[in-house]
Amino acid sequence: MTALIELDRLVKRYGPITALHEITACIDGQIIGLLGPNGAGKSTLLKCLLGLLPFGGRARVLGLDARTQGGEIRDRVGYMPEQEAFLAGMTAVELCTYAAELSGLPRSEAMQRAHAALYYAGLEEKRYQPIDGYSTGMKQRVKLAQALVHDPEILFLDEPTNGLDPRSREEMLDLIVELPVRRNCAIVLSTHLLPDVERICDQAVIMHHGAVRFAGTIDALRGARGRDSELLVEVKAEASKLGDALTAAGATCRVTSPVALQVDLPADATSQLVFRTARAAGLQIRELGVRRESVEAAFLRVLGETPADGGAA
Amino acid sequence: MSAGQIHDLGYKRYVGTRRSLGSRWTVIMRHQLATAWKTWWRYKIWLIAALMITAIGAGLMYIATDKTIQIIAGMSGTQVKFADGALALLVPWYCRIGALVAMFVGSTLVAGDVQSGAFTFYFARSMRPRDYVIGKVAALVILLSLILLAGPLLLGILRLGLCESTEQVLEALPIVLKALAVGALATLTYAVVPLGFSAMIANRRYAMALWAAYYFVVGTMAAAAGLFIEPVIGAIDLSTALEAVTLRLFEFRLIGRHVMEIPIGAAVASIVAQSAIAIGLVAWRVRGAQHSGIGGSS
Repeated sequence: MTALIELDRLVKRYGPITALHEITACIDGQIIGLLGPNGAGKSTLLKCLLGLLPFGGRARVLGLDARTQGGEIRDRVGYMPEQEAFLAGMTAVELCTYAAELSGLPRSEAMQRAHAALYYAGLEEKRYQPIDGYSTGMKQRVKLAQALVHDPEILFLDEPTNGLDPRSREEMLDLIVELPVRRNCAIVLSTHLLPDVERICDQAVIMHHGAVRFAGTIDALRGARGRDSELLVEVKAEASKLGDALTAAGATCRVTSPVALQVDLPADATSQLVFRTARAAGLQIRELGVRRESVEAAFLRVLGETPADGGAA
Repeated sequence: MSAGQIHDLGYKRYVGTRRSLGSRWTVIMRHQLATAWKTWWRYKIWLIAALMITAIGAGLMYIATDKTIQIIAGMSGTQVKFADGALALLVPWYCRIGALVAMFVGSTLVAGDVQSGAFTFYFARSMRPRDYVIGKVAALVILLSLILLAGPLLLGILRLGLCESTEQVLEALPIVLKALAVGALATLTYAVVPLGFSAMIANRRYAMALWAAYYFVVGTMAAAAGLFIEPVIGAIDLSTALEAVTLRLFEFRLIGRHVMEIPIGAAVASIVAQSAIAIGLVAWRVRGAQHSGIGGSS
């Protein structure tokens, strides 16, 4: 089966500056987070994938060659920009119909899908109003609708929750997370908001200095550091007492609150050690889980920076 | 908007054929025509003005078919019938209306799209810069041809209708062709040159002001320089260049007008050069916008 995006020694140079350094990666999944600091090369990579910039090496999107089949790729890809990209004076339904027609759909089909996309985006009652008068949240919804109106197989979403209040942000994430199921399309989410990635993405691509530093599942990103021997333990009371007992048993402990502690088990030990020690000390364990890195901590680690708080989630 | 709930009308993958890449400029053209037609002041009012000029011209031609007029003379110095000269006299009026349509529609097109971020909207899709340019130019050509081409053509046809014999019809037939030629040249001029101005600035109001300043101020200065210094300089003014072409084509001499001293080659060259520069500017702006409009967040 063809991967969504295949990169083979992709190079992009702007004069003496190399924006992308021989990137080789195979990117697949349902919701992929594209992460990276300023100047990492995300924009350049997107432009190359959409066939808008010439480049060296090979890039394939949905099995199509980005160098020679840019038009076909853009017919099968939806793009939701970060900045406003509307046409003055148009209503949402006019804009979406126009977008679908520009992607080659016949007018009647375009209109039908424009209504469906706006309905999905939650703008069914406002779709005949000019976009100029929309709130930020509504504009984000129109951007989402125009990106999916032409029935794309991949959606590139650029900061889709930017400028949204917490409730609207949750609603937008709900809409996005449902898209692979309801619209049968994959999503590439470019965002600064790592909690968004943590919440909805199953894959991540981390870019830095024009290179892909990580490409894989979110679990792999966090699991690369997290081990089953690093535990988070919550007790009913006296976490420090359990900490002392576990330290005596050879574990390394850090008490984070009166009822919680982080435990690094000694080699060959399992979580049974915690249960045995707690029982011996007469303490009741309420919750025990594997200590995982947060996506933010993993992101910083991949970039070679250290998270301030140790990065546990 | 109902919050926290997803409404879905159902979904089916589109399996029909898509419009070919090469014909998608027609979508832009149609959209542009619809946008211009939406408001009165952008286009409709000027179309009505052109219709009024055509109606007045037609009425005068009908009433004064056989009257001769003093201010126009044939190249040989002979007096000309009003019906033969009216068309040439009315072309500058059509051009004035064309300049206003160019100001309200043409000079704002690219600037408006840059200002609103529409290039991101266009080029995230399978649009090529040339599709965008062709679509916009085609829309402007249609809008302006209804004023600058249809008006003179109607008057030319009316002139044929006023003939009393087949010989007269054959004699007057070139008028229709000349009307077509002048109308086509004027249409292209007012469709393309203001579009170039709209590509120079990323603000629709400033672009409109720039076109107005160029056409009305710089043009008038060039025409004055042509009058007092060197006639060829007058060809820089688009309206003067078009008038010179018109009068040369119709082989009339407007008594007391220096415009006849501008060689037709210079007038046409000026229009072609300005149009070429304008197309170059639009292509440069649109190509640049295609590369800069899309991207991930940083």
